[in-house]
Amino acid sequence: MTAPTTTAPGQHGFKEHSDGGWGLVPVQTRSERFTSTQHDQHPPVTGREQEWKLTPVDRIRELIDGELDGADYPIEHASVDGVTVEWIGRDDARIGRAGIPEERASANAWTNFAKALAITVSGEEPSRFKLDRSQLGDTPRAAHTVITAKPNSQALVLLQNTGDARLSENVEIVVEDGANLTVVTLQEWDDSAHHLASHFARIGRDATLRHIQVSLGGGVVRVNPSAHLAEQGANGELLGLYFADAGQHLEQRVFVHHDAPNTRSRVNYKGALNGEGARTVWVGDVLIARSAPGTDSYEQNRNLVLSDGTRADSIPNLEIETGQIEGAGHASTTGRFDDEQLFYLQSRGVPEDEARRLVVLGFLLEIVQQIGDAELEERLEALLEAEVAASGRA
Amino acid sequence: MSDVLIERPELDGLGQYEFGWSDPDVAGASARRGLSNEVVEDISRLKDEPDWMLQRRLNALKIFDRKPMPTWGADLSGIDFDNIKYFVRSTEKQASSWEELPEEIKNTYERLGIPEAERQRLVAGVAAQYESEVVYHQIREDLEEQGVLFLDTDTALKEHPEFFEEYFGTVIPSGDNKFAALNTAVWSGGSFVYVPPGVHVEIPLQAYFRINTENMGQFERTLIIADEGSYVHYIEGCTAPIYKSDSLHSAVVEIIVKKNARVRYTTIQNWSSNVYNLVTKRAVAHEGATMEWVDGNIGSKVTMKYPSIFLMGEHAKGETLSVAFAGPGQHQDAGAKMIHMAPYTSSNILSKSIARGGGRTGYRGEVRIDAKAHHSANTVNCDALLVDTISRSDTYPAIDIRVDDVQLGHEATVSRVSEEQLFYLQSRGIEEAEAMAMIVRGFIEPIARELPMEYALELNKLIEMSMEGSVG
Repeated sequence: MTAPTTTAPGQHGFKEHSDGGWGLVPVQTRSERFTSTQHDQHPPVTGREQEWKLTPVDRIRELIDGELDGADYPIEHASVDGVTVEWIGRDDARIGRAGIPEERASANAWTNFAKALAITVSGEEPSRFKLDRSQLGDTPRAAHTVITAKPNSQALVLLQNTGDARLSENVEIVVEDGANLTVVTLQEWDDSAHHLASHFARIGRDATLRHIQVSLGGGVVRVNPSAHLAEQGANGELLGLYFADAGQHLEQRVFVHHDAPNTRSRVNYKGALNGEGARTVWVGDVLIARSAPGTDSYEQNRNLVLSDGTRADSIPNLEIETGQIEGAGHASTTGRFDDEQLFYLQSRGVPEDEARRLVVLGFLLEIVQQIGDAELEERLEALLEAEVAASGRA
Repeated sequence: MSDVLIERPELDGLGQYEFGWSDPDVAGASARRGLSNEVVEDISRLKDEPDWMLQRRLNALKIFDRKPMPTWGADLSGIDFDNIKYFVRSTEKQASSWEELPEEIKNTYERLGIPEAERQRLVAGVAAQYESEVVYHQIREDLEEQGVLFLDTDTALKEHPEFFEEYFGTVIPSGDNKFAALNTAVWSGGSFVYVPPGVHVEIPLQAYFRINTENMGQFERTLIIADEGSYVHYIEGCTAPIYKSDSLHSAVVEIIVKKNARVRYTTIQNWSSNVYNLVTKRAVAHEGATMEWVDGNIGSKVTMKYPSIFLMGEHAKGETLSVAFAGPGQHQDAGAKMIHMAPYTSSNILSKSIARGGGRTGYRGEVRIDAKAHHSANTVNCDALLVDTISRSDTYPAIDIRVDDVQLGHEATVSRVSEEQLFYLQSRGIEEAEAMAMIVRGFIEPIARELPMEYALELNKLIEMSMEGSVG
């Protein structure tokens, strides 16, 4: 579907109206949403749409509709064997292979970027590449990144975001046949930062993508990863960890599209909320298309509420178009920390404060420990220790 | 168009295809199609309603006109609002006894088994809705003695207007959604139940509904008030004949469960496969109250129905059990909503769905724990069973937590009937078709066991019939 269809114009009850939405057939399948790289092709955002109703659109209006600086920006990275980094033009053939914007902010970034950053992994020995973005400043920006893993290559690519930012961006991730790529995106922004990102991944035959999102800092952070399991045997693991403090809005909308036989996906996002106005949104869409017999899929979201005055939304959606599947399911839980665990630890002589700290950390570190990079895991553990300590009640 | 099954009287029991007959269309012939202020005024005048109800209807019509169609959910583009009869009067006045009913209506009900049910005293009262208006209604004496009111809604508005002034539209306001507005504008029929404080109605109150005029919408309005400490189980069953063009059913059910009262509302919806079934059902549960929805969706072309419970008082409980079955051409978009507004409230949702032959089932839910609702808990379990490769199953739960002292969990599993399961049963000498039916029966058992026996049997029979041809 390219656009919603209109039926029987003029019929009673279906009449056109300035509110919009009249006579439209709702999109029936996640993969059929309207897509366009052009900002003006997407309908204006009112904040009442399914896509935006949980997002503070007024705080990020400049990123949705404003003019964005699409020039190249300061980056820092070490040189790594088997990984190349270069700025490429809009007309480069590598652009547009993994996905097309589904909403207006993403399209605004696409319309406005002038230079894209291309990170290409070709080494077949495991390597680790870290890109630092720390000096974006408060200029509203558009960015475009293309990460390509050549056939049978292996690497971990870490995108580390710190400092201030007003950023709307698209990240394309192309995992070619037999490649094994891990992408970690770490949002450790200042409280003033606003960051909207769409990550589009296309996973090839027998290839694996591990996509790990960690959002700890920023005023409004909305990072939406999608994984298109496009070829037979493709494997996608999407992990996430978020910790929202007072006044922070951390949002993630995940989409896994099983589109080929014998594909596998695992989604596991864990979050904690602490402080007045701490807000998290997690949406996890999984579509098992008719083209994907033999699919094995599971997704879960777990939220830990550490104080009053917070709000956590958790929406795991599952669309299944074939019965020829290995298995599919999802789970979502939201609650305060486990009193039983707390009681157990206290009964073993651990003081209550320390027990709380251990329970909360244990909950969050499950994701960190799956990253598979000792240096990063250590750093994240330290960051989470600090978050938990600062949350006072832990 | 309708005689195929009349020629097969050997088919008894209840089932989608068995009820594909209709009586000659007498009442609907003169009814107007389409919607306007005039139609609404006409309905109100024919019913001799108080002016405030007319004003309510006219205002709701304005809201209906203004509100957009839902931008989510099923494809409703096949509804032609201009080609629906909004009010059809089947007989001039209410019949006071079975004998007074016209012969063709009696025949319809005999097929539905109502007189039998009466004779066996299985039902506490029968409100039979035939072409928009309740034509037959009887309340058992013991209910009257207890002070229980069980009337069709039109009569109740005349005889007990005070309840309507206080409660009508308070649970589901006209502006709640486009179809609630439509119902408020053109509602007709439905049931009214009032249970006085402390009264336990021991046997289920039962009502049957039927659409019988081609292209006729059915817009019944049900209002149930369970006063403090009372209990009632209300059962709504739906069947409809099959017609060649689309029908619209858009009911509103409002339930008020007062302090420490308990209400269970059971529906087995088996509309014929051309009906758009767009129903708004909502209950408010006050302190210590319990509300239970047991919801079966077997028939219809499209169903969009999400029974909700607003848990308004401390220690209120809510439960929704739902089973949906979609065959070829059917889309069951069902679900549940639990809105926790008070401390120490708990709720539970269990949803089971089966899609076959290209049908589509969906669970769409919302659970919200408001900031005031500390120490609340909710569990949602959704299971879907897929029996072939062309059917579709969706799960769209939404969970929104605004307080820290809560425990909440959602889980969904989708499984297919495996070759191993079928092979095992067949190796024990069970025919493949029966083996499939057994697996399906086992799957829905947790809900079937909550139904009154005759409904459980009916549900099993319907499922069995619907599963025919799904193997081999």
